[in-house]
Amino acid sequence: MPAPRQPNAASGTTRPAPVIVGAGQARYERHPAVERRTETFIAEAVVDALADAGIHRDEVDGLGVASFSLAPDHAIDIAWKLGMTVRWIMEDTNGGASGINMLQHAIRAIEAGDAETIVLCAGDRMEKREFHLMTDRYNRVARDFLAPLPLNGPNALFAFLTQRYAARHDLTREDFGCIPIAQRAWAGLNPGAVYRAPMSLQEYLESVPIAPPLTRYDCVPIVSGGDAIVLTTPDRAARLGAPAVGVRALRQLHNHDQQEGDGLSSGFAEFRDDLWAAAGARPEDLDAAFIYDDYPVMVIVQLADLGLIPDGDVKRYLHRTILEDRWPVNTSGGQLSAGQAGASGGMHGLVEAVRQLRGRAGDRQVEGCELAIATGYGMVVYTHGACHGAAVLERVAA
Amino acid sequence: MSAPFAISACKACGHLAYPPRILCPECGGTEWGRRLAETGVVEELTVRRPVFKRRQLPWGNWLDQAETHLAAVVTDLGPRIVCRVPEGTKVGDRVTLVARGSTAIAVPGKVVEATIADPADQSA
Repeated sequence: MPAPRQPNAASGTTRPAPVIVGAGQARYERHPAVERRTETFIAEAVVDALADAGIHRDEVDGLGVASFSLAPDHAIDIAWKLGMTVRWIMEDTNGGASGINMLQHAIRAIEAGDAETIVLCAGDRMEKREFHLMTDRYNRVARDFLAPLPLNGPNALFAFLTQRYAARHDLTREDFGCIPIAQRAWAGLNPGAVYRAPMSLQEYLESVPIAPPLTRYDCVPIVSGGDAIVLTTPDRAARLGAPAVGVRALRQLHNHDQQEGDGLSSGFAEFRDDLWAAAGARPEDLDAAFIYDDYPVMVIVQLADLGLIPDGDVKRYLHRTILEDRWPVNTSGGQLSAGQAGASGGMHGLVEAVRQLRGRAGDRQVEGCELAIATGYGMVVYTHGACHGAAVLERVAA
Repeated sequence: MSAPFAISACKACGHLAYPPRILCPECGGTEWGRRLAETGVVEELTVRRPVFKRRQLPWGNWLDQAETHLAAVVTDLGPRIVCRVPEGTKVGDRVTLVARGSTAIAVPGKVVEATIADPADQSA
């Protein structure tokens, strides 16, 4: 049965909307063998996603790549190493926001006929030393104004944001802990997560301080890995005979506050109404949410700013909805439990969303998962992330 | 050496920007002066343990690493900055701001150490 030629809310046109037909990952590893390079992880994710979609490499005619550590290679080198001849190519440098950003571009490319089948992929070989070398040179501001303090990586900055948010909403560490503890419970159902053992509140509270009030479990485990998704036209998707994922609406806002705000008033709040109107849905219609989780505080900020905490009672939402009811947020365990593989973090939630919406999430499958949101957040320019994006995704029956 | 800490100020509209920009985010102006930001108030604090005992800085020299006390400080001029503070600094403390080169070590007294602006900015 052909996929419905529904109006394309993402673009406001009536052209048939492209759909996501597959998602894949390279296994996340904490200490990869020396020969496993960034391109290895990206390639494994691409192969896995194509297999998931049932699409042959030679059918791919568009490629988007996001990575922090691919240099001196670029997207074209990945195309060459994977034997792909493509009509459309892009490279994305927006880290945690790269997945949503590439998705926005890829939808347009397929709608316009520039490509028919696009693979979007991300990956990094990332170990502790590589991570800190990367963060010290993250941008000129980090190099010139933060690294010399010394400040290695963003932990301290998010320690400030966590305290600021806690003071404003009267939250304690027990409250913030609801996010990593609940996500750890989900991770126990994900064989691909690096932290899988259940975590008690006690264990969370007593974990090693990293940048107080942040402790080990408020920070993502650094891993090497890769993520990929496959998009194609509804016509080709219909021939695959499996559920696909449509993009109801996608909105982004970058540098909304010029880094002059408090880092807690996000771009998500600014595009929220527009996003939900374009999606023809409300936050309460969602079956699951895949929220970029570099730190618990940013998960909470995004949930609140996207309208998922209806009465604004953050404390109650954390304890009841997230921890007790296990309302599905970041069912892979998120980056906080599954791991953050550099720029792959920007696609991690998208991959899990696609798996859930297509009914391929294994033991952690959310029953009746029809509508979900996936977000991207990233690129700390000075004090907080400057790139904000979200997509409302829906299951499209085969 | 330490120097008074200064923030870029747009010559057209007076908007203050730190770290420095190229076009003024407020009015699009391209000419920048500098205004001294002598003091500020500590908004949040944290402490970072060294990831490695010694660390090579981007320009090559090695730095022995100790615990770093870091703060978000709202300057009296308005902009919020990230800087290093002496141990014992408390939230709400009013602190004096000085710009220091990257090899600076902690100075006694209640002095906040802010990294020095890059050379291009110094000549502005």
